[in-house]
Amino acid sequence: MTLLLELKNTAVHYGKVEATRDISIKVLEGDIVTLIGANGAGKSTTLRMISGLVRPSSGEVLFEGNSITHLPPEEITGIGIAHIPEGRRVFPQMTVMENLEMGAYLRKDPKEVARNIELVFSHFKRLKERVNQAAGTMSGGEQQMLAMGRALMSSPRLILMDEPSLGLSPIMCQEIARIIKQIHAHGSTIVLVEQNARLALALADYGYVLETGDVALEGKAEDLREDDEVRKTYLGM
Amino acid sequence: MGFETFVQTFANALVLGSIYAMVAVGLALAFGVMQMANFSHGELFMAGAYVVYVLYSLVGLPFLVAVVAAFPIVALIGMLFERVLFRPTRGNVLSGFMATAGAGFIMQVLVGQQWGVGLMRSVVVPYKGSAEILGAAISWQRLVIIPATIIMVGGLWFFLKKVKAGKGLRACAQDPEAAVLQGISLNKMTSLAMLLSGGFAGVSGALMAPIIPVTPYMGHVYGVTAFIVVIVGGMASIEGAVLAAFILGFIHTFISTVYDSVTATMVGVLFMAIVLVVKPTGLLGNVKV
Ligand SMILES: Nc1ncnc2c1ncn2[C@@H]1O[C@H](COP(=O)(O)OP(=O)(O)OP(=O)(O)O)[C@@H](O)[C@H]1O
Ligand SMILES: [Mg+2]
Repeated sequence: MTLLLELKNTAVHYGKVEATRDISIKVLEGDIVTLIGANGAGKSTTLRMISGLVRPSSGEVLFEGNSITHLPPEEITGIGIAHIPEGRRVFPQMTVMENLEMGAYLRKDPKEVARNIELVFSHFKRLKERVNQAAGTMSGGEQQMLAMGRALMSSPRLILMDEPSLGLSPIMCQEIARIIKQIHAHGSTIVLVEQNARLALALADYGYVLETGDVALEGKAEDLREDDEVRKTYLGM
Repeated sequence: MGFETFVQTFANALVLGSIYAMVAVGLALAFGVMQMANFSHGELFMAGAYVVYVLYSLVGLPFLVAVVAAFPIVALIGMLFERVLFRPTRGNVLSGFMATAGAGFIMQVLVGQQWGVGLMRSVVVPYKGSAEILGAAISWQRLVIIPATIIMVGGLWFFLKKVKAGKGLRACAQDPEAAVLQGISLNKMTSLAMLLSGGFAGVSGALMAPIIPVTPYMGHVYGVTAFIVVIVGGMASIEGAVLAAFILGFIHTFISTVYDSVTATMVGVLFMAIVLVVKPTGLLGNVKV
């Protein structure tokens, strides 16, 4: 398996506040890697650093072995990293179709884009029924589907997902989990950030546990599921 | 008010509403995409009037050519403002205010030095005569503003709803960070917004050049009016700006015809206050670009 993404000793500061301290993460092509941790552990910050929304104050981000540490976010999208932000962040007054078109903003070939839209509709039947609905009027679960569909429109190699299950009903969580599996089966590599550790560790191949800006623990998802500390703190067992 | 006066006043209101709309949509668009207000917007309007003064009155090009030329010329000034004023102050409202207000004064001084301050520049009316509509006479020079507005604002609507770059502008106005994550360059979009904003202000000023006195300070009142229109309309809403422009155009024209223009201005401001009390976000405050 080739190494797709690597974070080397990255730290992020917001002004003087240290959000993450010394994070090193490896993501192998084809894997689902999860980052779990409590509120404020630095999960979103880590994803935002990968997609270029914030800059690391030290350390390096490598994608396919090349440094992307200083690329602007729009170029990072262009090289194949899609970020589904925390809170979905669909364009509320644009229709479902327009949101998907924005996801394909950098794509040139309209035929490929049309094919991609069909692919998205095959993952998310509900979106197809609602192409002309304003995104802001959809339910939270539907908006999450749209945010995922929009990310797929750039035909990414790597998808960063920030708490896709946030605020969704248990049934909708299962639906989202099913779709993540389906997208993964289609060949995407995924970094999944979740508070719902049970869901995340069920889906993932490998996991990192973040605590106050550091990697506290890492390992195969099946091993983390059996870890006493993880079971007590994150799985509530 | 007799029927003739009514028709006359109605037509005048349509013309005034049109020009307000054309000036204000640019301000609303720029605010929507940048979340920054351009306090030199009135001076972009003034620049458009001077394009007509120079190209039409001094050089002798056809009026229509001068009006069309005002778009790219003032659009370039808008883009320049984006690059040197807005981009360095992005996210800092106070710096943006000082930078753009300052730039407005500088433009007034530069234009005054070049073409004089005291004497107003007279622009000979190119479209002479009046149209007879239901017994009222409306000068062609004013009347052309209505189709011009329909073309310009209709064109902007088409661009924002149907063209990819226009949709990118809307995406930036609705959620800049999410837009960047789709690969949309914020710098390109703010530049495009100021290009359009400048172009619209420029064409508005160009069309008004034969109708109102052309002076370095002529933009002030239009800039202030555009702000009122945009505040009433809902800051970042193009549709709100158009709606508010016509409401204020009608209020102003009818009241100044029946009473006087001071009363009209007062009622206009009162209307703004009432809208803001009843709906603090403006008429269409939740509609972004
Ligand atoms: N824009 C910001 N400015 C200042 N501090 C920030 C900013 N964003 C995040 N932080 C801080 O950085 C730390 C990490 O935040 P982050 O959002 O990455 O946590 P998280 O693990 O995603 O938490 P959650 O599960 O609540 O989403 C927190 O202490 C937070 O307060
Ligand atoms: Mg988070």
